[in-house]
Amino acid sequence: MVMKSSVEDDDAGWGLGVPEKMRNNANWVDITHDFKGACKELNLGELLHDKLFGLFEAMSAIEMMDPKMDAGMIGNQVNRKVLNFEQAVKDGAIRVRDLSLPELTGIMDTCFCCLITWLEGHSLAQTVFTCLYVHNPDLIEDPALKAFALGILKVCDIAREKVNKAAVFEEEDFQAMTYGFKMANNVTDLRVTGMLKDVEDELQRRVKSTRSRQGEQRDPEVEMEHQQCLALFSRIKFTRLLLTALIAFTKKETSSVSEAQKLMQQAADLLPALHSSVQQGIQSQNDTTKGDHPIMMGFEPLVNQRLLPPTFPRYAKIIKREEMVNYFGKLIERIKTVCEVINTTNMHGILDFFCEFSEQSPCVLSRSLLQTTFLIDNKKVFGIQPMQDMIKDALRYFVSPPVLSSKCCLYNNHQAKDYIDSFVTHCSRPFCSLIQIHGHNRARQRDKLGHILEEFATLQDEAEKVDAALHSLLMKLEPQRQHLACLGTWILYHNLRIMIQYLLSGFELELYSMHEYYYIYWYLSEFLYAWLMSTLSRADSSQMAEERLLEEQQKGRSSKKTKKKKKSLGARPLSREITMSQAYQNMCAGMYKTMIALDMDGKVRKPQFELDSEQVRYEHRFAPFNSVVTPPPVHYIQFKEMSDLKKYSPPPQSADLYMAASKHFQQAKLILENIPTPDPEVNRILKVAKPNIVVMKLLAGGHKKETKVLPEFDFSAHKYFPVVKIL
Amino acid sequence: MAKMIEENGPSSHIGMQGELSSSSRGRQKLESLLNKNMRIRMTDGRTLVGLFLCTDRDCNVILGSAQEFLKSSDSFSQGEPRVLGLAMIPGHHVVSIEVESDSLADTQGFGSSH
Repeated sequence: MVMKSSVEDDDAGWGLGVPEKMRNNANWVDITHDFKGACKELNLGELLHDKLFGLFEAMSAIEMMDPKMDAGMIGNQVNRKVLNFEQAVKDGAIRVRDLSLPELTGIMDTCFCCLITWLEGHSLAQTVFTCLYVHNPDLIEDPALKAFALGILKVCDIAREKVNKAAVFEEEDFQAMTYGFKMANNVTDLRVTGMLKDVEDELQRRVKSTRSRQGEQRDPEVEMEHQQCLALFSRIKFTRLLLTALIAFTKKETSSVSEAQKLMQQAADLLPALHSSVQQGIQSQNDTTKGDHPIMMGFEPLVNQRLLPPTFPRYAKIIKREEMVNYFGKLIERIKTVCEVINTTNMHGILDFFCEFSEQSPCVLSRSLLQTTFLIDNKKVFGIQPMQDMIKDALRYFVSPPVLSSKCCLYNNHQAKDYIDSFVTHCSRPFCSLIQIHGHNRARQRDKLGHILEEFATLQDEAEKVDAALHSLLMKLEPQRQHLACLGTWILYHNLRIMIQYLLSGFELELYSMHEYYYIYWYLSEFLYAWLMSTLSRADSSQMAEERLLEEQQKGRSSKKTKKKKKSLGARPLSREITMSQAYQNMCAGMYKTMIALDMDGKVRKPQFELDSEQVRYEHRFAPFNSVVTPPPVHYIQFKEMSDLKKYSPPPQSADLYMAASKHFQQAKLILENIPTPDPEVNRILKVAKPNIVVMKLLAGGHKKETKVLPEFDFSAHKYFPVVKIL
Repeated sequence: MAKMIEENGPSSHIGMQGELSSSSRGRQKLESLLNKNMRIRMTDGRTLVGLFLCTDRDCNVILGSAQEFLKSSDSFSQGEPRVLGLAMIPGHHVVSIEVESDSLADTQGFGSSH
């Protein structure tokens, strides 16, 4: 056996200096018998080891022959040779030319499935690179398969680059390793799309020449060829469109995003053709010699087994072909949605766009494309607008601060300009991070939201100081105007949004136990939403004050423009958000009172607190809020005092609380039904509010008061608010 | 693995006390092999080469900087070892144990019977 001496970076550092000792043709002596005999002399549980080698080191050893740890085991257990591409070609196990149309279709479909499996978080080595053809497309002689293999490699390469750049993935989302494979880097993108187009045109000619003509007797063989050509044509074209769309995303012009959107639409139009021809390609055969992996010409699931690190998820389940078209359909929809972002210009709108997009739990590729479309090379929004300008626009839209109004003397005051510019510059990084956080997967978002509160607390402090400086400057120049809590209000608004999202996402992620619901909903309704509403109305009145001033100034110049005055009676920019917050607050209050009442009736299961207490849990749940100064965190003791029912006389009974909860749900329903253009979110909340009104009324009337069966909370209608079900 | 470690506890130093019982000779033999290069063949035909770091009564062996070689009949993947790092081979999967002959020069007892 040939020994290869290589220096490994073993983290424990064991055996440094070994490689030079390992040489070829070492003289090995068998000591099995003696060794085993000597081992027998050790005591039970005794470890014989070097002074420098202890338990800690032993812990990190992988256990051989344990299927969970030993990745090399599987490859060794199949009764066949695992061939690489060159060997397989040499052995005649796979062909690189004269492939039939069904063979090509089948290989491509399997490749698509591998691509999807990779995008869903598995390693390239266990997915796309189980296809031997992509190992070295130069060896392929069939032009269609060659172009396709290069196309797939390019798609992988660009997708990988995008995902890496956007940096909104974690190990559970994406594996970026390429295991030293060449990603078709020796061929330009243009060349590959050109090759695909050539093959596509050739196939289209065949499709046309085999098409049925009117009045002609149809030859079944020609019909078959027609169908097979069409199947292959659709796959090649689909690959080309997908690749071209991804290339469009790498360009810096905004126009290329709408270009990508068009390409995606064309790809979507091909899906029915793909779907109807999935059965045409050769299918894989299930054979036990390859473990659970189906056998498919050109694919060897174990070819990269030895490239994997010692401990690795052993098995990547490749998705089924039937699901492939469905997945592509959804992927295309997501990418098309991503393209829409360029139509939103306001930062708050963009933030909402990111939140909404994230709510569908999109895949890592679409999330990354959204990030890289928004901030091109981390400098400018959509590649055109500096982030600072966007923040100023957001401030103007939200609180209309005098300092950013061209009608105010501060606008051209260089000192005021310095203040605001430096503040806006400081804002830009936290807001970019905030937008980036919304690109992460849902579970990671929550953790990151908790951390970013610290940065916003610093901004809050600065905002208040800048407000104060600007105010004193303004008092000297225009004593009739104020600059109080403008920037502060805006930062506070974002603070509150983050805090609310942090708490609500705990419901979505199913982190809370039933007995915790009451203090979470209390914190939301009594505290965070109350603060949010007062913040929004302060911003609203600040806007109005600014508008009044503008009007007065205009009146001074021309008294004709009184018509414009009526505009202020119309919908205020923030009115919808204020209304929605009222609805959310009522939903939370309703849930809070429901939980208290259920608890009174003994219908909430409580844990046996042994090692912790409710206080420990409460403090853990709200721990990230401790870094926030405004609003100040509500500590457990305060919460207990504030929510104490004994301060009412007489203290409410469960029936009173059910009734009050019902009223809150009723109130939420009224508010939502008065919204002129209800969006899906409004309808979702209504689906919870309506049944809860009824259930609470029933409970208030003593319905099933004696039953000890615990109620059920059904979050299927809304992520954050459950329909309460009494069984 | 975890079980082996839990049971170990303070007893791990017994061997180093050097009691002069009959069993201490086996211990000395094993100690003299510590940090020597070792080649272990496993029940599934693979061979691991690495530094002998640790063993116990059931002949579970831990090798450091281990490299995995496939069975010699596999003509294609032969020769290219896979780096495993720290690896524990359960005693019942150990088929044969070999050491380099010159590393036996300074050890007592091993190999002399062969």
